[in-house]
Amino acid sequence: MGILRRRRATSDGPVPADRSIVTIADAPPRRNVRVCGQVTRMRARPTSGLPALAVSISDDSGTAIAVWTGRRAIGGVALGRRLVIEGVATRRGDQLEFMNPEYTLLVR
Amino acid sequence: MKVVIAGAGSVGRYMADQLHASGHEVTLVDQTPAVFDRFGSEGPVTWFLGDACEVATLDAVSVADADVLAAVTGDDEDNLVIALLAKQEFGVPRVVARVNNPKNEWMFNEMWGVDVAVSTPHLLTAVVEEAVNVGSFVRLLSLEGGDARLAEVTLTEKSPAIGSAIADLGLPRESTVVALIRDRHVVVPRGDTVLRPNDEVLVLVTGDAEDDVRRVLVG
Amino acid sequence: MHVIVVGCGRVGSTVANELVARDHDVVVIDRRREAFRRLGSRFTGTTMTGVGFDRDVLTRARITDQSAVMAVTSGDNSNILIARVARETFGVERVVARIYDPKRAVIYERLGIPTVASVSWTSARALRHVLPDPGHSDWIDPTSTYALVERKVQAATAGVSVGRLDEAGLRVVLLTRTGAARLPDRALLVQQDDLIHLLVRADATADVDRALVEVGAHR
Repeated sequence: MGILRRRRATSDGPVPADRSIVTIADAPPRRNVRVCGQVTRMRARPTSGLPALAVSISDDSGTAIAVWTGRRAIGGVALGRRLVIEGVATRRGDQLEFMNPEYTLLVR
Repeated sequence: MKVVIAGAGSVGRYMADQLHASGHEVTLVDQTPAVFDRFGSEGPVTWFLGDACEVATLDAVSVADADVLAAVTGDDEDNLVIALLAKQEFGVPRVVARVNNPKNEWMFNEMWGVDVAVSTPHLLTAVVEEAVNVGSFVRLLSLEGGDARLAEVTLTEKSPAIGSAIADLGLPRESTVVALIRDRHVVVPRGDTVLRPNDEVLVLVTGDAEDDVRRVLVG
Repeated sequence: MHVIVVGCGRVGSTVANELVARDHDVVVIDRRREAFRRLGSRFTGTTMTGVGFDRDVLTRARITDQSAVMAVTSGDNSNILIARVARETFGVERVVARIYDPKRAVIYERLGIPTVASVSWTSARALRHVLPDPGHSDWIDPTSTYALVERKVQAATAGVSVGRLDEAGLRVVLLTRTGAARLPDRALLVQQDDLIHLLVRADATADVDRALVEVGAHR
């Protein structure tokens, strides 16, 4: 239910992912996107003692980070693995960071 | 800035008014029709009746374009879920969440998409302590998952810092005086600002420096 | 098995009794003592009043990483908090959360938490997530040659292609990933937490788990 009072013109919110993959450099933050790259770095990044896995994914245009909360490892996600990441990224500094994105393992 | 506030209780409404007065674009979301009916027709802030724990509601109020989302309902579970959705599904750069029950404070961090946790009990205690116990070191806010804290001290005449310039105090490196409130005015602190009794000093402290800061300002 | 059921409504009390009937060690947690009346006289497990995502409460309920946790309160948000605390703080692998809002369910599945929608809830469906029953077949053909079994993909098997599984006698006829079911093509690589329906020889159902690990080892 939504009753809106005096609402100004706004966007329609995140659009559903266009199934096509964009380069990391072209990926807009705050919108649902798909990028494809290779795992170039993996880091356990605990927060307040709880586990989190931070993975750097690089394509020819740049590097983005995917963070999965509450886990130390994901089967199949290792250095050199190619994968597709789909989700909404936040801009952190000059890098895009995805929180718990969908991922698809590709053949190495 | 575009700010979306989830939870239109007295805290949310107060924040909305303050932020709007500062020139920000504010939307208030609440799911209680009675609250909406009673307060939603007053004032210039935009209201939305809906459940902020639902992606559809966050979509409808354009959280995708918001600079800040504040989850300040009276329910910690709701605040955590709203924060998670805001960060994970909408990439909101700054997510603020209110902690109602201190027992839950340990969850209010990156794990749930929370950038800044605001503890109502701490703030309330700070307000009470300020009225009752001038001169003590009061922690106001925890930032960055508890690693940075904003603290406040009202200096008494007995404070060892009285008469010294801020630069000469010997404050530890992991701390900064961010503001000074003197005679109800905010003074931007400089190295040569000399501290006086009744100055209200706001200090940002990281790491383990709190005890040193307390020693310098309180004794 | 030690199973913690949080939420003693109609759903929680039913599943708690089923677990007791199967000889499991059951602890039921609810915020309200009156809710335990639903359990009836045949319930031989333990009850505890408290909040299911409170770490002290779960510790008192004797939670370990070998426990199973079923989050079946009437609140989606409570259930997801319970499930995440169980998984991330206590290392519990066998977790299931009951979820009413399907949009939120997808998001929670991405956190690695299996959800069962309220509308399609049955105790049997939920228990399959927490009680391993390797001998169970969803269907066996009339000649008893082939059986349909369901498995959750573990880390050891992640990255193996559907085609490779087929060659190993494990034909994936349906793959469900973050709540969405699909007919997989041979090139698809299975991932951790995928739910796969396998058609296997009826006389080999006991070997399925070992076979899945072996295929993973020879990737």
